[in-house]
Order: sequence, then structure tokens, then C-alpha cells
Amino acid sequence: MPETVQPVIDRALSAYADLVGLGESIEDEWSYVNDLAEAWNQRLAEVGELRGPEQISPAVGGAVDRAITEIGLITDPHRAIDWLSTFPQVVLLALDEAP
Amino acid sequence: MRFQDAARDARAVVYAGIQADPLVAQAAELLTTATLGQRILARAVMNGETTDPGAWRIMFPRLFDAASADDRQRAVSEAILSAALAVADRGEQVRSQVRGALVEELTARLLARRAGAAVVRRERRILFDGVRAEIHPYDVTVERESAPEAYDCKWGARGINADVLYQLDDARTHASDEDGRLVVGLVVFDAARSCQVRLDAQTAPHEATWLVSLDELDALAERPA
Repeated sequence: MPETVQPVIDRALSAYADLVGLGESIEDEWSYVNDLAEAWNQRLAEVGELRGPEQISPAVGGAVDRAITEIGLITDPHRAIDWLSTFPQVVLLALDEAP
Repeated sequence: MRFQDAARDARAVVYAGIQADPLVAQAAELLTTATLGQRILARAVMNGETTDPGAWRIMFPRLFDAASADDRQRAVSEAILSAALAVADRGEQVRSQVRGALVEELTARLLARRAGAAVVRRERRILFDGVRAEIHPYDVTVERESAPEAYDCKWGARGINADVLYQLDDARTHASDEDGRLVVGLVVFDAARSCQVRLDAQTAPHEATWLVSLDELDALAERPA
């Protein structure tokens, strides 16, 4: 059975939360990290609300899963902060959504 | 108001070497006409951990799948991927410098499309009568007497800070004090949403500064602020 948008968004949000945790370790950027996370969580959740039951191709689910693997490789909190912006864009692009 | 070359201190000499790296020009040329998706690809790869091109093709199916992109666009995406991986392959410090130089070069090329290459300059200071010159030069300037422009360039939204906002707004204000008009802008190779989050937390004046994010880079080539 083809996958739908919502589980993909759920997986992305879960991985994103881990990335936020890594970025938060830069104390000076704690507020920025959380403001950024709130903004992108909201955007991703919005896509889930609008398109949750929509079926997607295996390529789209695979793209998001590979992006999740990519952010799982990050250990540097500074790079994590960069990816707090980049990761949602990659996910949205895979889903054919504007950032 | 007048423009002047920045002092050639040790930092400037080293950075000039980075700016002259052929990879910077190659990547900037590719990104000048790239789609938003291709620019996001470049940003992700240059920020990335993985150097396996196959992994990036999986992450960006809309750029690499035959069902989503035509042959020409796939070829452009492949060229961008290759250039971005070459940047990512540099050591962390050099990678960071190359990314910064790339955003400046891309900005200069986009502005040249609108204003002409002859008036687009790099690493320039702006001098105002009776005002102490800023130490840091502007990354890119458009030096037309009738409509001068000055830009700072950042790789990510995190680069938006009080110093750069004050410097840009001060220049605009000083120009106005001389009855002139100077367009000031901040070009950020990052999503508009992230830039706005960063900007919302800043108290430095920025209302009159043109923010050009990754999503709207083409505006540099299409219209003045």
C-alpha cells in the first residue's frame, strides 16, 4: 500500500526534534534555535494537515528518509543549526511544496 | 559619498585567493540561472556530511528523476551537485570561506545582469564627508552615480547580526544626510522563513534594508529595491 504524506511528515518532525536538541547546545543561539524550530515545525505540520492522507511515491518517502539519515550524521552543533533551516527545505521540496 | 578600494591587509590577501578559486566562479555561474530547488541542493550539499552523489540524488528526486525533470535540467542539477561536492570536499575552514565567496560572486553576477558588470565592484568601502570610515568593506557594490547600491552577503540566516544591520543602515542614513540615496541590502543564501526568524529578534534598524533570501535571489537581477 502506497505511503501517505502524514507519516513522512511525522518522521521528519521526529528527526528534526533531535537536530534541535543538538543545536540547542550552543547557548548563545538557544532562542534562535527554538524560534527557528517553531517556524519550521509549523510549516511542516501545516503540510501534514493539508495533505496528510495524500499518497506519495516511494521516491518521495525515500528522499525524506535519506535526508533524515543525513541529519543523523551531524555531530557539530553549528552545522546542526545550519541544517535546522536546510532540512525542512529538503523535505518540502521532496513533497513539491514551497519552503 | 564616494567608493574606495578596501585596504589590502593580510586577511584581504588570503580571502582574495579564495575569491579567485575557479570553483567559486564555476559554482556561481551555475547558480546564477538555477532554480530554487537547485539552489537548495547546493546549500544542502555544501553544508552536508555525505560526499556520495547517489545519496543526494535520492534526497532530491524532483531534480534528478526523469519523471520530474527534463534532460537539460537534470544535467544542470548534476553539474551543481558536482560543484557543490567539490566545495564540501574542502576542509571545514576552507569550505566555509568558499561558501562565503560563492554568495558574493553569485550576488555580483546577478546584479551585473541588471546594472552591467562595469559598475559592480567587490570589497569596497563607502566614504562620507565628516564620517569615520567603516573598517569592514561592503561585499558587493553597484557604483552608479544616479543609483548606488551596497550589499553584504551571508551564507546562512545566522549571519544576520546587529553589526551588519547597523553598518548597512548607517551607510544609507549617511547618504541621505548628503541628500543622496543609497540602496542597502543583505543577501542571505538561506530560506526567507529562517531569515525572518533571525531578523525578528534583531533590534538594530533594518526596516530600510533590502533582505534578499535564497527564495528571491533573482530579484537582484530583475529589479532594484
